[in-house]
Amino acid sequence: MAVVEVSHATSEHIHPPPETFVQKYVFSFDHKVIAVQYFITTGLFFVLAGLLAELMRAQLAGPNNHVLSVTMYNQAYSVHGSAMVWLVIIPVLTGAFGNLIMPLQIGARDVAFPWLNMFSFWLFPPAGILLFGSFLLGAPEAGWTEYPPISLQEPAGTSMWCAAIFLVGVSSTITGLNFLVTIIKMRAPGMTWTRMPLFVWATAVTAFLSFIATANLSAALLALFIERTFNVPYYDPSRGGSPVVWQHVFWFYSHPAVYIMVLPAFGIISEIIPTFARRPIFGYKAIAYSSTAIGLMSFMVWAHHMFTSGLAQWVQLPFMILTMAIAVPTGVKIFSWVATLWAGKIRLASPLLFVLGFLSTFTFGGITGIFLASVPADIHEHATYFVVAHLHYVLFGGSIFGIFAGLYYWWPKMTGRMLDERLAKLHFWTMFVSFNATFLPMHWIGLFGMPRRVATYDPVYGGTNLFISISAFVLGASMLIFAYNALRSAKHGELAGPNPWGARTLEWMIPSPPPYYNFDRIPIVLAAPYDYGQPLPYRDVAPEYLAAVPRF
Amino acid sequence: MASHAVTLNDAQYEEQRDHRLLGFLFFLISDCIIFSSFIFTYLYLRSAAPVWPPPGVTPADLYMAGVNSIVLFGSGATMHFAMESFKHDKHLRFYWWMMATILLGSMFLGGQAIEYTNLIHENTLWTTSIYGSSFFSLTGLHGFHVFIGVCFLVVVLNQTLSGTYTKTRYFGLTAASLYWHFVDVIWVALFSILYVWR
Repeated sequence: MAVVEVSHATSEHIHPPPETFVQKYVFSFDHKVIAVQYFITTGLFFVLAGLLAELMRAQLAGPNNHVLSVTMYNQAYSVHGSAMVWLVIIPVLTGAFGNLIMPLQIGARDVAFPWLNMFSFWLFPPAGILLFGSFLLGAPEAGWTEYPPISLQEPAGTSMWCAAIFLVGVSSTITGLNFLVTIIKMRAPGMTWTRMPLFVWATAVTAFLSFIATANLSAALLALFIERTFNVPYYDPSRGGSPVVWQHVFWFYSHPAVYIMVLPAFGIISEIIPTFARRPIFGYKAIAYSSTAIGLMSFMVWAHHMFTSGLAQWVQLPFMILTMAIAVPTGVKIFSWVATLWAGKIRLASPLLFVLGFLSTFTFGGITGIFLASVPADIHEHATYFVVAHLHYVLFGGSIFGIFAGLYYWWPKMTGRMLDERLAKLHFWTMFVSFNATFLPMHWIGLFGMPRRVATYDPVYGGTNLFISISAFVLGASMLIFAYNALRSAKHGELAGPNPWGARTLEWMIPSPPPYYNFDRIPIVLAAPYDYGQPLPYRDVAPEYLAAVPRF
Repeated sequence: MASHAVTLNDAQYEEQRDHRLLGFLFFLISDCIIFSSFIFTYLYLRSAAPVWPPPGVTPADLYMAGVNSIVLFGSGATMHFAMESFKHDKHLRFYWWMMATILLGSMFLGGQAIEYTNLIHENTLWTTSIYGSSFFSLTGLHGFHVFIGVCFLVVVLNQTLSGTYTKTRYFGLTAASLYWHFVDVIWVALFSILYVWR
């Protein structure tokens, strides 16, 4: 037990608590306050980007509607995609969940660089203002990927888009290196790598991807901005540049970004399933190492987004095989989760419901991903609604379901109050049914040949599109149930107590909401946290937390 | 935060230094990725171009850049000697080696300014061709890093003179020296692919 004898160098070293309002709630260094700031801003951007989606569905409810002009429609889907990826899913999973949970789970008082954490958050609201403000100068119209040469010919709003995504990129890079240093250096004594909670594993890999891949995107955005502003040729084919370079560099970032958007959700799932199945997680190391494998392989599959961009055939083949191979570590996780549920003593509370929703929709999206990885199939499906359906099954069915699972799970820890279970179940079923009703039919109309990114369509797709639009409105409305539940809990929510779910990771070994210093004494960790049925593996934790029993 | 640092005991200082060192290394890796992205763009455009350099472009002069490279690599050596002197408590030597590093760094920037002026006279601009866009963005990005590096060195030298760093606590110096060596190493790559490879 040599590890346990690590000196408590920082344990007595505590920053004084903030006193003024600004220090406490605005420019706070406290990871928990910063997490709440991320939750609020990403929530706001989620509403705005969601309303853009509803506008698009209003336009698409009939074959030749005039709800939006063609230009407005292009702007709507471009800003919707950019905002959902960079202003909602990435920051809520890393900035919000990572900040709220990771330091608590490793038994730390804060992240390694609290000042940088605060700085990285404050880059983020200006980015949102720039992105949504781009409508004033003519928002981008070439989709969230902004392929040149179209992106070079657009009005000034696209430069605002570049600046916005650049800021998000810098913020994400800083958060990534901050989290990785925190996880490597600040784990509680005794917490070896294989005793870390699986959410921390997922956050570590995500952090690595964030600061490696995002720097690459920043460089591409800088080049696009310079080309647009100073007329310097990088991407313009008429002047010797190459639009394909942008695609390579962009996807070399954006494919790892797909895993930045889903690995933390995997982490959330891995925490919730053992808690509600009351069983040790099946294949702890398999889940942990498959995260790492996914992280490394994600840098080797980017060109599968470019099968229709004129790549040589000898380039397409390895990318096709590698893309199919990356489904293997993902499959390892899915099987481990199902095996954990198998013969478990399952309590079907709201977090687990969302996890089950995640498992079914994400697996479905993963399988259509295999279709798209196959070059011949992709060439047929690439520009159709099949891709839209696939993307939403992994990013909505995967990430957003994972985010809601995490919100229902950690809400009591964050606020100290429970959410209402009946409203939560109503939210889940409305969301799950309307989600599938919205995106499942898109597979068929895509295979029949309805092109994506077009404001009008052939009337033969009319009935299906009307059905999709109505479902999309219900899906949007289902979010109101969560909003009502969240607001209601502030006043009427039952007090949660330290550990309402009877979970075993360190964040449940302290009061809810956690005090400013998180831990009175830094706990000592003796084993991995998932051995349900065994005594809790911690020393220096107050007995009342060790004795807590689940209420559900 | 300066007053804060004074209150740390040795174990706390070492822990904080370890965190900052690792964080700084990660920062350098992500900075390296930014260069890689521009280098990839340059290599892609160059390999896709029918002739290189594009017709009508006078490429930058190898000999002048060679002299300039020696200046920059020399500054890497003086930086190393400065750190060694500091670790052995020879403050006067440290001061002169640091001054030499700052001077050589500034000379490199001056050389680059002359090079840019010559190219602009020959109408090789960053807007005229993909040679210009790649050359000026790569060397400009690197020159910007050298400029930041010189400022960094001036700041840490000033801090040393006012007694911020002691024989056991000198993370700021380590960071500045790492950054300076990093900028040097990047130049090896840029010099090879922009000047030597014709």
